[in-house]
Amino acid sequence: MEFDLKTIEALAPDQASLGAASKLTKRSNWPRLERNEQQALIWGECQGSGSNPYRVVVDTSDHGYKCTCPSRKFPCKHTLALMWIAATAPASFAPAGSTPDWVNDWLGRRRKTTPQAAGPMPGAAAKSIDEALQPDEGAVVEDAAAVERREAAQRKRAQDTRSAVSAALDELDQWIADQLRLGLSGFVDASSERCRRIAARLVDLKATALAGRIDEIPSRLMALRSEERPDAAIRELGKLVLLAKAWRSEPDDPELKRLVATSETREQILANPDARQVESHWEVLGEKIETRRDGLVSHSTWLLDLKSATPQFALLLDYFPASAGRRSNAFAPGDRFNARLVFYPSRAPLRALVAERIGDVASGAAWPDFGELKDPLAARASQQDGAPWLTDSPLILPPGAISLDDRGTAWWQADDDPHGIALPIAGAVDQTLLGIDLGAAAALWNGARLDLLAAQSRFGRLDLS
Amino acid sequence: MNELEQTGLAAMRDCWITGGPTFDLAPAAWKEIAGTASPDERERRLLAIAAQVLDIGLRPAAPKVLKRRPPLPVLAPPMLPERLRPLLRAALKQAADARRKVRVVTLVASRGFVLHPMDWMPAVSDQNSPDVYAPWIDWQAGVEGQAHAPREKLTEENWDDFYPAARRIALADMRRIEPAAARMLIETKAPGEVAEVRLALIELMRFGLTLEDAPFLKSLSTDRSGKVRELAGRLLARLGEHGRPSDVGTDDPVAELAAFVSEGKSGFIRRRTTYTPAKLKSPAQEQRRAELFETCNLVDLAARFGATEPEIIGAWQFGADNNADILIARMVAASGSDAAVTQMADTLVTDGGKPAMFVVHLTPRLDSRRKRVFIRSILKETNYLGVISLAEGIEAGWLGWDDLTNGQVLPALRSIIGGTDDAMRRGVDDVLETMGFLTTTATAARLIDEVVAAGIPPAAPSLTLLRLNAALTEQSSGTDT
Repeated sequence: MEFDLKTIEALAPDQASLGAASKLTKRSNWPRLERNEQQALIWGECQGSGSNPYRVVVDTSDHGYKCTCPSRKFPCKHTLALMWIAATAPASFAPAGSTPDWVNDWLGRRRKTTPQAAGPMPGAAAKSIDEALQPDEGAVVEDAAAVERREAAQRKRAQDTRSAVSAALDELDQWIADQLRLGLSGFVDASSERCRRIAARLVDLKATALAGRIDEIPSRLMALRSEERPDAAIRELGKLVLLAKAWRSEPDDPELKRLVATSETREQILANPDARQVESHWEVLGEKIETRRDGLVSHSTWLLDLKSATPQFALLLDYFPASAGRRSNAFAPGDRFNARLVFYPSRAPLRALVAERIGDVASGAAWPDFGELKDPLAARASQQDGAPWLTDSPLILPPGAISLDDRGTAWWQADDDPHGIALPIAGAVDQTLLGIDLGAAAALWNGARLDLLAAQSRFGRLDLS
Repeated sequence: MNELEQTGLAAMRDCWITGGPTFDLAPAAWKEIAGTASPDERERRLLAIAAQVLDIGLRPAAPKVLKRRPPLPVLAPPMLPERLRPLLRAALKQAADARRKVRVVTLVASRGFVLHPMDWMPAVSDQNSPDVYAPWIDWQAGVEGQAHAPREKLTEENWDDFYPAARRIALADMRRIEPAAARMLIETKAPGEVAEVRLALIELMRFGLTLEDAPFLKSLSTDRSGKVRELAGRLLARLGEHGRPSDVGTDDPVAELAAFVSEGKSGFIRRRTTYTPAKLKSPAQEQRRAELFETCNLVDLAARFGATEPEIIGAWQFGADNNADILIARMVAASGSDAAVTQMADTLVTDGGKPAMFVVHLTPRLDSRRKRVFIRSILKETNYLGVISLAEGIEAGWLGWDDLTNGQVLPALRSIIGGTDDAMRRGVDDVLETMGFLTTTATAARLIDEVVAAGIPPAAPSLTLLRLNAALTEQSSGTDT
């Protein structure tokens, strides 16, 4: 490996980056550190503030790098930390015979530059590794009165937020009643403008999460055929009514607060004794990356618990600004790993954080046998019983296949299905899939469309996300 | 949900679509839930109930007609191991066009593996991918039925049991072993097929082509399709039969073409005839000459000069006009006899220099040994390394380390990699990609080390195919040298 601390010092954009990087050089921050000497590459996964770890790769021959974090500093603290570990503890990197898909993906897209001598760069003199290693002197011990003042201010802010959200839900109620009075036909046609307006109002009144959800209603409606949209509008608005009522009855419920106002921080979830923790083997079923109207990109990674007797899922959810550009995926579909996940408290726990990544698990084996799955939508019904405001339900579907109707829409249908159930699939389907019998499939059902994530087949695992 | 509720929901739904209160239309049980709240609140409560009923109570019904494709056939060879799929996908991504992707697929097939169908599928029109993919091509073509590749021999009776790609492969094999029987099958079945299929069937006549095929090919001069007539004419020309090109807008195109070639004499003691491309005066002439070379047959051009094919090739002054050399090489590949093709390839490779590179146009018709000789000559020469990427129909995975060390190719690569000429470096990327296809496993691994030591970034995408090759050791066909 060709790193020394002087090179890192020279590459760092500023002293703050070096300081932040120094805090990330602890081995415990890096569940994975690997190297491929043949290709002169090092890479790793750094547990950042998001639910997904950030993936960092560095080309040691020319100091090219890539990190999946949304930072606008180049290189970011994660990249600098990876280089730092390479310089000071190269033995931390496990040798790897091949490079993972995400590294290959980066290699395929990058433009090589002529290797540069690691000489001093402009501004290098202003940054110092030694300084970065100094203990942080900014932390001041608070006295008891200050603590009390801070807590009182927090209580005041929480009370203000609750009042604002309550007012927001009043406005939402009135808005829904208006839509019913004016007609859903007109609502569907003008949903973009109408939803934007109420969403902006809800943001003003601190119901940020709810605003984000309403902002996405138009795109969910437009994904359907025109004759399906009124029913979808009834479902969407009806669920909002239920969510608003639930929040009013339990405004301190963490799940409802999360869905209406703001989410807890990673630290709060990890420190929450009520948060369910599951250590298991997890398979990455697939990822969904969607750019939202509010300028954020939502990055969902769906996991399947491989040790559970019944289908259990986890969702790693991150948001980052669309202006930060395309991010590489944090996990590759099909990856399996042993990890302890902490679930956000809720009636049907789904959203989770990776608290501890214990190691990788060999990929390729079939999913556990979950027994006979008689009704593919039973899991949906059960989830909706407890939390009828949720939109997407992860499902494991029994053996089936994809067929086309006379309009070319793809449908999943169970083999020898006694219920006559067929579920329409969202978006276009790879034509090859029409000839492959699916042993079992993992998908998201939103009440109108099935979003396939992955499937088992005689050709092995199929990545469908 | 009972019938009353269904009726009530339908009425409420219609009312909400147009706008207005629905309380009076709601089923009794729902009205009870909506209670005595304000009118707006009652509507919201009913909306919440309706939302849940639509979500849970009503199940999506299967359309009356759902079409399922026949199952995608499982191919006989094992699938590429999972751990190599990322490398394969990287190699496919790096391959810029369909021809290069087929090269990746061919390399994998040469090591005894097939690809995962979600990584790559042959196109319906694909005729260059390895034969093992024929069942997938037929599946892509949407052919319905049961059998994909019957084990029995192709006959007139079981013709329809074979899907097109499987049939094409069976016929090609048959032409190599029993050319007459294959010809009789084509003769019987081709007239009933559409022009496109007819053309593909007649194209198979090039395998094991003999004079016995001439009567059938002559009978195609009245075929409805111009393309079939033209192909039959080409095949007849390969047998030495004179034809007459059509559609070139002149009475005697061969004579016109001959006018672009100067016949001369050289040598003081033994006067030898020479054929030299005439000097052209305008781009229009250049274009016309190219059209004529493309449409006329070698045997007719030779006859025009009162010479035989070997005589005209032997006396052609290669090196005088590169464009003309390329045109005649293409003409020989299209309509020359097998002897003419090999004579031209042997002559050019032996003479070396730039004209040797024109053999690239002959590669589709060269035997395996001559193709390898040609590749080795390019590597030895090194001045025209880029030509290696243009050769077609070359086998995968045979180029050994000795082939690279015999000539100056490694020093040449090192020099370009270490140099600053970006265009030359891009050329090396192409060459390395082709090497990834041609080399043995061991050679691929050594070549990676060599070029990385010379300065190619170890993670360079141009090394992807070499890396895949080096990793493809299982099911090896034993061609490593």
